[in-house]
Formats: sequence, structure tokens, C-alpha cells
Amino acid sequence: MNITISDNWLRDYLKTNASPNKIAEALSLSGPSVEKITKLKDDSLYSIEVTTNRVDCMAVYGIAREASAALPAHNVKGSLVPLKSKSRQRFAKTVNYLKAEVDATLCPRFTAVLIKGVKISASPEWMSHRLQNVGVRPINNVVDISNYIMKELGQPVHTFDYDKILKGKMLLRASRKGEVITTLDDKKHALRGGDIVIEDGKGRLIDLAGIMGGALSAIDDNTKNVLLFVQTYNPVNIRRTTMSLAHRTEASDIFEKGTDPELISLAIRRGIDLFESLTGGKAEETVLDIYPNPPQAKSIALDLDFISAFLGVVLPKLQISKALTSLGFEASWRGKSLSVRVPSWRLKDIQIKEDIIEEIARIWGYQKLPGIIMQGALPEPLADSPFSFEIKVKNVLRGFAGIEIYTLSLVAESEAGQGALQLANPLGEDSSFLRTSLMPSLSRTAGENAGMKEAFHLFEVSNVYLPRKGDLPQEKMMLAGIFANTPYRQAKGVIEALARELNVPLDFVPEDSRYFQPSQRLMLKSSNKLLGQFGVLETGKIYYEFDMVLLKLSILPKKYKEIPSHPAQIEDITLVLPAKSRVGDVIEAIKSTSSLITEVALGTIYNDAYTFRIHYQHPEKTLTDSDIEKIRGNILKNLKTQFGAVTK
Amino acid sequence: MQEEVINLKNEALAQIMEVSSSEELENIRVIYLGRSGKFTSLIKRIKEVSPDKRKQAGMLINEAKNTIVKALASQKNHLKESARVWFDPTVPGIEPSAGHLHLVTQAIEEISTLFAQLGFVRNRYPEVEWDWYAFETLNMPEGHPARDEWETFFVDTPTNPKFGQMVLTPHTSSAQVREMQRVKSPPVRMINIAKCYRRQIDTSHVPMFHQFEGLVIDKGISIANLKGTLDYFARNFFGPERKTRLRPFHFQFTEPSFEVDVTCGVCLGAGCKLCKSGWLELGGAGMVHPKVLASGGIDPRKYSGYAFGWGVERTYMMKSGLKIPDIRLLYGSDLRFLRQF
Repeated sequence: MNITISDNWLRDYLKTNASPNKIAEALSLSGPSVEKITKLKDDSLYSIEVTTNRVDCMAVYGIAREASAALPAHNVKGSLVPLKSKSRQRFAKTVNYLKAEVDATLCPRFTAVLIKGVKISASPEWMSHRLQNVGVRPINNVVDISNYIMKELGQPVHTFDYDKILKGKMLLRASRKGEVITTLDDKKHALRGGDIVIEDGKGRLIDLAGIMGGALSAIDDNTKNVLLFVQTYNPVNIRRTTMSLAHRTEASDIFEKGTDPELISLAIRRGIDLFESLTGGKAEETVLDIYPNPPQAKSIALDLDFISAFLGVVLPKLQISKALTSLGFEASWRGKSLSVRVPSWRLKDIQIKEDIIEEIARIWGYQKLPGIIMQGALPEPLADSPFSFEIKVKNVLRGFAGIEIYTLSLVAESEAGQGALQLANPLGEDSSFLRTSLMPSLSRTAGENAGMKEAFHLFEVSNVYLPRKGDLPQEKMMLAGIFANTPYRQAKGVIEALARELNVPLDFVPEDSRYFQPSQRLMLKSSNKLLGQFGVLETGKIYYEFDMVLLKLSILPKKYKEIPSHPAQIEDITLVLPAKSRVGDVIEAIKSTSSLITEVALGTIYNDAYTFRIHYQHPEKTLTDSDIEKIRGNILKNLKTQFGAVTK
Repeated sequence: MQEEVINLKNEALAQIMEVSSSEELENIRVIYLGRSGKFTSLIKRIKEVSPDKRKQAGMLINEAKNTIVKALASQKNHLKESARVWFDPTVPGIEPSAGHLHLVTQAIEEISTLFAQLGFVRNRYPEVEWDWYAFETLNMPEGHPARDEWETFFVDTPTNPKFGQMVLTPHTSSAQVREMQRVKSPPVRMINIAKCYRRQIDTSHVPMFHQFEGLVIDKGISIANLKGTLDYFARNFFGPERKTRLRPFHFQFTEPSFEVDVTCGVCLGAGCKLCKSGWLELGGAGMVHPKVLASGGIDPRKYSGYAFGWGVERTYMMKSGLKIPDIRLLYGSDLRFLRQF
């Protein structure tokens, strides 16, 4: 989350000569990252990214603390100026002006103080100006003080019109399902139950705690007595409420990360100071403080060897102590053993030894770390890695003028296929299902290039997601491609060449199927296993797909074949085939006539005349004309009886 | 025969010097070197030479022929343009039609080759994954605010009692615990390069993109090892003078966590108009959180590890200096774009 911090305001608590740029650099390299500095006429604004674990850095005071620790690592002096308060109020479990009953699991610390005789007016210039600079609209002195404290200390603060809390009573509890509250912004919220709410002595809901105050108890121009209200809430409840109501505020953004209950003492005293100096009000002598279970102090033990091994470099003990102390930790050494006491504002965040090492290393300076590539044994390679095969297939297709594309796996229902998995929160209808086939995506992509008049071939290697009951879908790696403006024989030739290149024996078996034109689709098989399909789509484009795993499994190892010592006899035979003859079957028939026929290729087709180029070869001798005449005779006889083919 | 050869050679050379057109040169070539040319008939008569001198004679004939070939060629070059056979070398070539590998494939190849040199093993993990692997075992229990960063897509299926909701992997880190479970005991050196999905779309975000994730677990793995690996990557991927730096960050599944920057390729870290600070942001990294190691069945008291996970598209754009104004072009269908790479 990004916050805006004013440089002027920061220097209330940070003593340094460093320029804003230097402060930004030190913070970025050793603490929260400053993403931008905006120069104003009389101030500079830092835009700082604060990670979710560092709720203590969501305001001026925390950033001042970080900067005071970070600057020395970058060779500039810097120190924290602690916030001092004039308030001398006592804290007590009960007070006479408010009876409060609090569920401590929802609200670990509950404090409030009554301030009487408040005069609502505009805030002084210095305050409204600072608020405006960091993006808060000044409203009146009471509201502005609350915002000011939140921006300064990172502790959200609420104010009630005391006289609107009926019977001076409060009950802080979990909401019940269906209860309704109207918040300050006049929005009505129907609650889901389990939200933190406060009801007054008449049972009216006056606060949606940690998120926004209720309209019933809001400050108005006639407010005289203000209840200043500073709490810690259970972050889980706050987060659930903001999610279920889809209603976030700056306060809830802070509370949902879990604030430091110890910070409350400082925040309420700061509030009392500001109220007394800016509103003419007078705070009661006693602050109500319901705080049954203050968090235990926490120490983490680690030793120097562990620190050195984890960092990969040995640091002097003194450096380690210095880094920790500058961040408010207490470090004590006994020999090589280090015990670190965690300050209250880091109790949630600092849990393990590695957390302590992070604090040491970032303040010492990550830039000083050496780079050393790890030694040690190498892991076993993957037994059946698919990657080199995939890139080989891609490269082969690229060599055949294929253009690789990546299309979105999320598609519209109409493109998803039967039973496809649906997203619960899609970005739009056209990307709400996980595709089970690449065909629709490729068809669409080819269609989007309809303006191209020349031939093109697009292909993609990608997973499809096939649902399985009660389990993750099967992720099947597919190769699919589409040809546009391409003659059938050329497209098919690419598939034949691919199979030849991979050394996969491929059979083309005609069988009709959906999406393809009748009689224009082939199953792609190898050793009777179905690897994929090829054919002319209803749109006229030519589509193919392979299951990549099966394709890879069908590869035959390359074998050395004896190079024939005698040349082959090659001849062309032109045959007239009757209409509706399948030339693939004719070629098979020629091949099966004799084992001495080693190759049959289709040459030209002219009307109904087909020219075949036939290789005759004997492994040990040169075939004589009369040998070949005999085989040729058999070919022609077979073709005549099987297909009715005659020589031209 | 020796004399005969020399005479014939001189005769040919003299004629060559005289010619003024390429046709005449061709005639001379036929007369002396053609199938029934004068040298050919000389060779046929080599049997007449006494056997002890035959070799020498053969060499002499060859040398004479070579001299004539050179003389022919040289004379051709000396002919005036108008006297030469016309040939236009400026005619454009006919290119074979070639295809294209997608930019993302090119990037993945480079990245995986680079990490293979350090012994990283590439594998593939589910792209549709359980919440358990995408978040829960990465120290992000349900309801954790850190989850908001991921903008996750959920699949509309019943929740699994153990593994939770089905999600589209929002990051390659989902593979961390899967890889630990596969390998069972270190060393682990994983590189996972895969599709990821997030609910975002604008000129610099697409709902489907690619990340590469490195995971190393062994005894005594240190932050310095992470730094060393990142520097190795930067030098080999971006160029020998490039360096990386670590900045503090926070991820639930690494402790400590870092943002990794690389020095700008133009100013090498000094700061320039292009990069402002001298550094460009690469992505996140960190030391594997002990809880994540434990989730993967690896004893965090014995082993430590590091991980990093960055966007493939972004990293490749940074390397190549390709200023592609809209990342959606990568996943679009426009051939005019795809054919550029």
C-alpha cells in the first residue's frame, strides 16, 4: 500500500541534515521503498510503499524511526525526536462519564476520554495545510485532529458526540446477522454478523468499529462534548467486514493489519494535547482504559554463527547490536549468543530468527553483501523432460514457415467445450471458461487475420484443461495449428514432414468429425494410437492438433540402414483412376505389391490422370528390365482389379 | 612431350591476351580445355611417355591447364563491361518462407538455458492449482491481507476439504512446495517457467502472463548465494557489466524478502534520463520461510534456501530494449506484430 508523507512533518520527528532525496534513497535501500518525491512550494511529499507487515510504518512517526535507523548506513546522521505530550491524565479501568462493556477478543484495548466544552471551528492554518498536502480535506478542528493523529502516528482515532451516546453507556460486541447500521457517510449497511459494533444505552448501533462511525453519534456544528476514542481491534474481524461490505476506509486499512496496543497511550495523550490547544475543550482527569491482556514481551535468541551462515558473511557483534538498537530493539550478547527484545510495535511482525537477521542486514546495508554462487551437489535431472521435445517441434514448424502464437486460455462459454471449468470471478464473459480445446482460439485468431491474402500457418503449443471430478483438471499439452489460404496438399505435407523429421510413423485414417467438412478429416494415428487429427474445417481453413505426450512417445529411434550397393530403378507410371478413387489407398496398394518397391510418390495430377514415381530396388543386385516388367505387371493387374485403374 | 606442353600453354596464353569478347574466350576454352580439346588429347597420349617420367608429365599438364584457367578468368575480368556476358547481381534473392517463434518462447529458451548452466532442473507444475499450494503452504492463510496483492482467479468448483479452493496459479511460487514434495530431500535447484493468471488488464498487464521461478534448497544456503546467482543471471542475461542490488521488501513466504534491481543498461547505475535512479526493478526474491520449508517436508533447522520469481515478458522487454507499448500485443493475433520477431 502506498502512503504519502510530508517532509516538513517528518522533520518534526527526524533530526537530520539529509536532503529529501537522500532520505528517500536511504529508506528505499534499507526500509520501505520511496517510489516518488513530489516537490511542493514549501514542502516535499514522499510516496512510500509500505508492505502489509509494517503497519508501524503507515504514518509520519514510524517513517521517522525507520529513517533515523537507515540514514547512518548511508553515511548521514539522523536521529528520532521522540514525541512528548503535556497530558498528565491517569488511565483507569472505570470512569464516571462512561460505562463500557467490551468483548476483549474483538477489542484488545479500549480507551476513551471525555473532552468538555469543545468549540467547533476551522483548524489552524498549519494543520489544515499539512492535511491538505497529504490529501486529506480539512473539515473542522475535531475531525481534523482525528485525521492528523492517524497520519502522524498511524493510529486511527474516532470521536463521538458524547451527548448522543444515550445513557452514557457503550456495549462493544459482535454484530448479529441482519442488523443495520447507517454510517457517517449516510450509507446503510446490512451486517452479515461477526462485525464489531457498538451500541449505546438504548440499544442503538452507534459505531461500525474500526471502519466508520455511525450517523447517530456523529459530531455536528453544535457538538459541545466530545468522546475521544482510541482502540485496537481484532484484525480478522475488521478484514472480514471490509470484504463483506466492500467498504474500505483508511482506518480499516490500518486496523486490518493489526495495530500496536501500546501505541494507544501515546495517541490518546497526543489527542488530548491537540483538543485542549485547538478546540478550547478540557479533558477529564481520567482516561478509560480497558486492557485486560497486554501482550507479553518477546525475546528472540540466535547466535553469531547462524547469522554469519545465513548472511554468507561475518559481521562484528557491535555492528549487529547497533543496527538493532537503532530500530528500537534491545540486543544483549553472552559470548556468541544474542538475545533480542522486540519492541511493542514490531511484536506481530517479528516472529523468528530470520526476521531479526533481516533487521540487522538491511540496516547494516544489503549493498555490502558479497555474491557467491552456491557450491554443493546438483539435483538429479528430470527423467522424462518434455521441454527439449517441445522446442524441437516448434523449431521444425518454424522451419516450415509456421508462426507461433500464444492465445489466452480463458475463453467464452461458446469456445470452451463441453463441461469446461468456469471461473467464479472472471474479468468478462469472453474469458470466463478454461478451454478444453485449442481449435476455437486458433480459428478465431486465423479469422482475425482475414485481411491477409497470402498463405499463412499459425501454431500454438499450450495446455488444455480437462475437468476431473473432485480433482484438479488434467492439463494436457497440445500442439495445434491452422492453415489459411493454403492448398490441402501443402498443409498435409507440413504434417507429413513434421512426422518424418521427428521419426514418428504416422497413419492418416479418414473419419468424419464435428467442425470438419464431411470426408475432409483424418485421424492421425501411430501404431494404432490416436495422436491427433487433421482436416478441413467448416470455415475452409485447415486445422490440425496433436497430443504432445503421445506424439513424443511415438518417436522411433533412428536406425542405420545399409546404403544399397546397387542403384534403384526409378520409373513414372501414369494411371487413369475412376472418379472417387482414394489415391492414398492406391499408393498403399502399389507399395504392397512387392517388397522390392521401396518408395512410391505421387507426382502430378492432371484431370483424372495420376503420375506415380516408383522406386524398385533389390538389396543385393541391380534389377533387370525383365525383373521390373514382372513387378509392374503385377501392379497394374492389382490396380485394375482393386480400383479399375488403367494406364494412360 | 614436355616441350609440347609448354608450347601449347604459351600458344593458349598468347591467344587469351588477344581476345576482346567473352565469346572468344569461351571458344579458346573449348579449343584447349574442352572435352576434345588439345590438352585432353595430350592427356590421352600420356601412355606414350616412359613410366618413370609419366608422373612428372602429368603434373606439368595440370599446371599448364591451371595457368590457362587463371588466365581465362583474369582476362574475363579485364574485358570491358560491354564485352562481358550480361549478368545482373542486384536482382533480389528469393527467400525461403520462414516462420517465427513467439517472443515468449524465445525468452523462455534463453532463461532456461542460462539456469541449466547452474544445475537448475526445469519441471512443470499445475496451472490450475489448489489454494493450498498457491497460498496456504506459502504462509498466507485464508483471510490474510497479503493475498490481496495477487488478484486471483477462482474456479467455480466445490472446495476441497484439505486443499481449499481451486485457483488459477497467480504466481510460479505455487510450485515451491510441490517441488519439495517431489524431490523429498535436498539439494533442490528448481526453475519453473509457466503461465500465471491474474485479474488485471491494461497496457502493461494481461490476465495471462509468464513467470520464472528459481528455488534452491540445501545446507548452508545464504543470502550471499542468492546475490551471487542474481549477479550471474544479470551478467549473462543482460550483459557482463550489469549488477544487481537487493532492497527490503515483504512476502509472506520468504524471510527476509527482497526487491531486486539491475543497473540500467545505458548508464550502468550512474543515473540517466532513461532510468532516473540508475536502477531498474526486476522483481521479488527472498530466503525461503522456515514454515514453507516445513510445509514441503524439509527440516528448516537443517536446510535453508532462496527463491525468486519474476515476469518473463517484463524481464525480456528490459533485456531487448523492445519498447512494446501495449503488452496485450503479445497475446493478440496480429501477424504484422508476430512476424517482427
